[in-house]
Amino acid sequence: MKEPILTPEAARVLNFVGLLCLIGVLVGAYIYQFSYRELPCTLCLLQRLAMLGVAFGAALNLTFGPQPRYYGLCLVSAVFGIGVAVRQTLLHINPYFDTDIGQPTLEVTTNPPFGSPVFGLDLYVWGVVVFAVAILAIGVALMFRGQFEPVEEEPEWFERLAAIAAILLFAMASVETISALLECGFGDCPNDGSWNWWAFH
Amino acid sequence: MMTLTYALLAVAAFLLWWRKAEWGWIAVLVALGLGIVIFVGDVDFSQNLGIRL
Repeated sequence: MKEPILTPEAARVLNFVGLLCLIGVLVGAYIYQFSYRELPCTLCLLQRLAMLGVAFGAALNLTFGPQPRYYGLCLVSAVFGIGVAVRQTLLHINPYFDTDIGQPTLEVTTNPPFGSPVFGLDLYVWGVVVFAVAILAIGVALMFRGQFEPVEEEPEWFERLAAIAAILLFAMASVETISALLECGFGDCPNDGSWNWWAFH
Repeated sequence: MMTLTYALLAVAAFLLWWRKAEWGWIAVLVALGLGIVIFVGDVDFSQNLGIRL
């Protein structure tokens, strides 16, 4: 029998690398949040949520073996994420939208970007790039059917990789939950990017 | 609501690790659904699209 191009083993490794990249982006956003003292806005938090959704799909692929359903979950999360990121980018491009008051205006405005740029691009523009790359990668990955073949004897590192992925995902989701609780409480999140921890008010 | 959405993902991730609970994919879909509700609430269509709902 001809060996598939993308074996189940290779697919797992690629899913793990993708998950590490997404966790890396989220950790980077955290470092940025604390070092620049800029709290994420609602749209920023929704993009992080979408990144966790994509990472969750990858973790499911690692735990139960690659399945189209889990890639679909990654894709749905990435499409949601790119929708949010594109909206936030457009808000800052549109000269007839005043981001300070969060409403359209008849005066031409120069909307300042939200937060400081990273390597010349604002974080929400990076969000568009990350989600576009994720959609492309998932689309390409779905072209290879060999990864969906059942594995007769699963090596031990499959389980280890899956456990590491799930723990990383749990740690990141927990930290985001605590951060969202402190910033937003159980209501709407503030959109001014200021340092107003809900719990200390 | 953002906090609850993240909490749902955290619980699903924990159970994926501890119990290998496969239903986590449904939790992610629910979380994304909540995300859409938050997103729509943030957009304020009546202002942004110039229409009154």
